[in-house]
Amino acid sequence: MFAKFLDDFRFITRCKKYGLGLWQCPNFLFLVMGMIAIAAMVGTFFVSSRFASEGVTVMSVTLEVVFIMIIGSSVIRGVEKVAEANIMKTEFISIISHQMCSPLSAIKWNMEVIETERDPKECLPEKQVVFLQNIKKSNEQMLKMVSDLLEVARIDQGKSIFEEKIFDLAELVKDSVAGFRSMAAENNIEIDSQIEPVSQKVCGDERKIRVVLDNLISNAIKYSKENERVEVRLKKEDEKIVFSVQDWGVGIPHYQHSKIFEKFFRSKNEFRYRTEGVGIGLYLAKAILKHCGGKVWFESEAEKGSTFYFSLPAVD
Amino acid sequence: MVDPTKQKILIIEDDRALQSAMVEMLSQEGYETTSAYDGEEGARKAQAEKPDLILLDLILPKKDGYEVLAEIKKGPNKNIPVLILTNLEEIENVQKALDLGAKTFMVKSDYSLRDIIEKIKENFQK
Repeated sequence: MFAKFLDDFRFITRCKKYGLGLWQCPNFLFLVMGMIAIAAMVGTFFVSSRFASEGVTVMSVTLEVVFIMIIGSSVIRGVEKVAEANIMKTEFISIISHQMCSPLSAIKWNMEVIETERDPKECLPEKQVVFLQNIKKSNEQMLKMVSDLLEVARIDQGKSIFEEKIFDLAELVKDSVAGFRSMAAENNIEIDSQIEPVSQKVCGDERKIRVVLDNLISNAIKYSKENERVEVRLKKEDEKIVFSVQDWGVGIPHYQHSKIFEKFFRSKNEFRYRTEGVGIGLYLAKAILKHCGGKVWFESEAEKGSTFYFSLPAVD
Repeated sequence: MVDPTKQKILIIEDDRALQSAMVEMLSQEGYETTSAYDGEEGARKAQAEKPDLILLDLILPKKDGYEVLAEIKKGPNKNIPVLILTNLEEIENVQKALDLGAKTFMVKSDYSLRDIIEKIKENFQK
């Protein structure tokens, strides 16, 4: 009995560790339903023993027990399956992603050796240089995807490390924009940036906020139509630094607005099959900003485009 | 400025593709390198070869990185700086390695070989 209770307690803490709420934990639900069932049976017993005959009392309590057992056990079994699947999913993502990190890093480092040893353009035919660049680009994409997945698993399990440092957000934005110039040019998209020339210092984890910027800017480019432009803005408003990135692309239909920051959600618009990604960029952005005392929001209309904003407290 | 040609670096890493890229790049920078492919070999070489710096992976066959680190920090060569180079970025891994006496914690997928060499140089300059 005591061992079973201890086991239940362990499962509850395990559910909490994986980001599941108390009501999503089957063992907690079992305890609560058990108590409600006992209270209901006692109530029925008192009420019917006062107003009905002995036979009716016995029958109504028995019926109630059977009814509660059937409904309760099916509810609990369902919740149990969902909770277990959730835990397994997080563990699975974490294991697979870790296993992928080593070979992906090996490709990256060995490419770096080839590039450093001698200029590939001097000793390789032009065609092969292009293929090497393709490998490098795909490798970077894959590493980014895996590290975002790992970060999601870490944040869900409360295992992520957030460094606190004061840094200039303007510099980080400029750096991120510069990194996307070639990706934008490939799609004939122009990136305009309007950065207010005042102090834009914020406090938080610079590397993680860079992930947020990269995700928002790359989304704007990915969901833009060809020959369009993307506008990046950074300004100080009251005691906050507000970043925004606007595109005039496919936009998000209204009925999907409430789901946009959910994990693994991908907008079902016409461009869906033309873009890569697993649907964790915005979930990650929201989680990271929340941790750094900021927030993220957006305005969007289907076929007209989207503007994504985030704000962080300014530090003087 | 320390002359890198006089510095010997022990790389404890079981993935051969990662190991060979690191050896190549560090040799080009003028460092002398020595390799270990599992925890036991790593711990043995850390004692026998007296390197000036150790790059240590955490997931290793035979003995994991924490055991190797603990062994080094208990032995006569405890002052050799140990830099962790791993894929584990969870808070408990970082904390455990730093508590055991590691100097720096680097995540492989976030670092280029250039960045690693910068970290090594920083360490020798201190």
